[in-house]
Amino acid sequence: MKRILEMSHISKAFGGVKVLTDVHLEVNEGEVHALLGENGAGKSTLMNILSGVLQADSGKITFLGKDYYTPTINQMEEAGIAFVHQELNVINDLSVVDNIFLTRELTRKFGLIDQKKQTQKTKELFESLGVEIDPGAMVRTLKTSEKQLLEICKALYTDAKLIILDEPTTSLSNEEIDHLFGILSKLREQGKSFIFISHKMPEIFAIADRYTVFRNGHFISSGDIKDTTPRDITSDMVGKTFVDVDMYEQRELGEEVLTLDNLSGRGFNNVDLSFRKGEIVAFTGLAGSGASEVMQTMFGALPIEGGSITYKGKKLDGSIAYFMKNKIGMLPTNRKENSVIKDLTILENFYIAEHVLSLRKPVISKAAEEAKYQEQKEKLRIKAASSADAITSLSGGNQQKVFLAKWLNTGAEVLLFNNPTRGVDVGAKAEIYKLILEFARSGKTVIFNTLEIPEVQKIADRCVVFYAGQVAAILDHKDVSERTVMNYSTGIQSQR
Amino acid sequence: MDKKQLTKQVGAFWAHYSYIVVMFVVMIVYAITISANGSSFRWSHITAILSSQNTCIIGTMAIGMALVVLTGQIDLSIGSSLVFTTSACIVVFNITNSILAMIAAALVVGAILGFINGALVGLAKMPPFIATMGTMLIYRSLSLSVVRSMDTAISGSTSSQFAMLRANSKYDFLRFTFGTGKILSIPYITLVFLLMVGLFIFVTKMTKYGKSIYAVGSNEKAAHLSGINTTFIKVSVYVVTGLLVGVASVLQACKLGNVTPASSGKSYEMYAIAAIVLGGISMAGGKGNLLGIIFGALSYTTVNFIIVSIPSLTVDIQDTFQGLVLIIVILIQTVSPVIKEKAHIARRRRQAEAEGKQN
Repeated sequence: MKRILEMSHISKAFGGVKVLTDVHLEVNEGEVHALLGENGAGKSTLMNILSGVLQADSGKITFLGKDYYTPTINQMEEAGIAFVHQELNVINDLSVVDNIFLTRELTRKFGLIDQKKQTQKTKELFESLGVEIDPGAMVRTLKTSEKQLLEICKALYTDAKLIILDEPTTSLSNEEIDHLFGILSKLREQGKSFIFISHKMPEIFAIADRYTVFRNGHFISSGDIKDTTPRDITSDMVGKTFVDVDMYEQRELGEEVLTLDNLSGRGFNNVDLSFRKGEIVAFTGLAGSGASEVMQTMFGALPIEGGSITYKGKKLDGSIAYFMKNKIGMLPTNRKENSVIKDLTILENFYIAEHVLSLRKPVISKAAEEAKYQEQKEKLRIKAASSADAITSLSGGNQQKVFLAKWLNTGAEVLLFNNPTRGVDVGAKAEIYKLILEFARSGKTVIFNTLEIPEVQKIADRCVVFYAGQVAAILDHKDVSERTVMNYSTGIQSQR
Repeated sequence: MDKKQLTKQVGAFWAHYSYIVVMFVVMIVYAITISANGSSFRWSHITAILSSQNTCIIGTMAIGMALVVLTGQIDLSIGSSLVFTTSACIVVFNITNSILAMIAAALVVGAILGFINGALVGLAKMPPFIATMGTMLIYRSLSLSVVRSMDTAISGSTSSQFAMLRANSKYDFLRFTFGTGKILSIPYITLVFLLMVGLFIFVTKMTKYGKSIYAVGSNEKAAHLSGINTTFIKVSVYVVTGLLVGVASVLQACKLGNVTPASSGKSYEMYAIAAIVLGGISMAGGKGNLLGIIFGALSYTTVNFIIVSIPSLTVDIQDTFQGLVLIIVILIQTVSPVIKEKAHIARRRRQAEAEGKQN
């Protein structure tokens, strides 16, 4: 079998944080190669390097016998590499045909577009693949799965030899996934290669020929899918230490403090839950399950559409500031987008939420703030030089700790953490778990949303599994396992 | 090693205080043109720059513009607002002969005009550029149509101007004691401008309100999720701008004694933007130090003075030079990181290829 891609000794760091350390990747002609790893393992970074979006700090890419060190996007496109991003890059306000031929329009005299010929070519391409999309339709009207296929077709039209698919199945139904896999198989026979990024084991074992596993920016293993098992791959992905360490401890829980009564909101319905003082509860569920939306509604970031939220006997409804005044704090998901205020210093980021609660004293006392920060810094073991440094000078894990501290500093008794360990390295993850346990021990109620089941097993007293906007199951600590949670969160099983 | 450290320090200084360097360069050029004209550079040249209406009036309004820009918005109406508030405060002065009433009128009217901008942008969610372009047209044209129909005993002048009535007993104090007066050779109106800059440096650096302005401009979503009422912040900066326009209109009235709706304050919004950009405040929002406005406004005025002091240049060419200075300064700021990045990648590429050959 012919090797078409070899990436060797690739390293990359962002502002002092190593995201890739000397990794390798080899892809053969006519294969689907699964690239595996947890969030933050470095898969996307490597793919961005391969497609010329990012430049590696060191290492070499060999594609179809040619060497590249720091290629540009255009170079890699010309060489025959296409990247179908997770967030699709189609233009909604153009037709299907116009999207496929964008920047390489077929023209007649005077540079006028030959619409007829373009439509004809598109039809031929779609027929050969068994894609049933109307070439004249506006892309806005397509389903997500169709947009995905459109992107793949677009890549094929440019005669790409290697197509990168970044979690292509996240928003697809089972039939749509089958359809996609049918098309991939057909293309594989024609000699096209795919790099398939996913963490859904059944899919990988259904479609992939070979695999490569990364963990925390390092190359871990590689081989033929037929020679391995999902269990082996999973342990490669999460690492031994990660699975083994058990930090959970049974604690005496306090009285019930927070209840959701028949709560409905954006993307979820009729949720009944209650939480106790000092309790750690995990929310989990696949994209679109409503877990994150419930959390945002509990913080006033999304509106309550029905039912009620009661904290210590008081019904809560209002702005975010109102919920904060009532002792609720939320660390949002996606740190870079929702937490980091990049032009402010560490201290300013730390204090920005507390300021909302103390507006009666409009003038800042720098010395008092600094003292408070130092205290939290000590407590949360934040590694930072000066509080006047930019927040962006810190590593992901330390940034996240600053934001944890920011919410502690508001005096919140109920802490909502939406994906708190996303985009932080393994070491920092463990630190964050320890901190969550410490918060609970000191009497805070912690509710965290996560997609990673090992996290749930490590620290949660209970786990609430969401499916299609409903609570599918409430599991006690001892009942949580990867398989049970998966069954509930995919709707295979339901408690109610 | 020492050399490397020095360049690093110089680089850091440039990154934070380029506006000071810019001002000194411009000043030196001014000094050279003056000596080329055969006279010598004196303190009086500097006080002329300090007391120029470009520095004080535009500078005061530029503080408001800076706050608006820090939140990631823009206000194109400040020149027209200045005309409107100055008209209003002159009329009030002519009727009441009261300094307090005049100042109150300027502040209240300014705040109302600012609130209208803020409401359109923050509450009705209109794009700031369009909303304030609309009010820019409205505010000036309203003053214009009023001045034409007003009794000259109240407007204080002919059909095209509002002027303070000389017959009023407070006229001399406002115009001559305050408007053109000096203390320790620094004009009073310059002191008002510096006082305002000082006040707002304090607001932006030392108050919670100030920090939330930066937060909204830097990452509005994160600011919102931190509990900040982002709508309030976005509306309030327009109101504050209106108040500062009110202050500027009192300065305008006292320094010049009149306002001509057809021509006064034209393009002042552009000059204010130029002053804050020269002062190192990012148009993208969230970044910049209000201290820069002093230097930005001074640099901007000085460029004007340089052009005037060169006999062979006419006033017509003035905007060309101002435009060029602006473009050059911004070019240096935007291009230097790009060049740095390019150089870094090129170095990387050479290294990688050299390694490749060795293997």
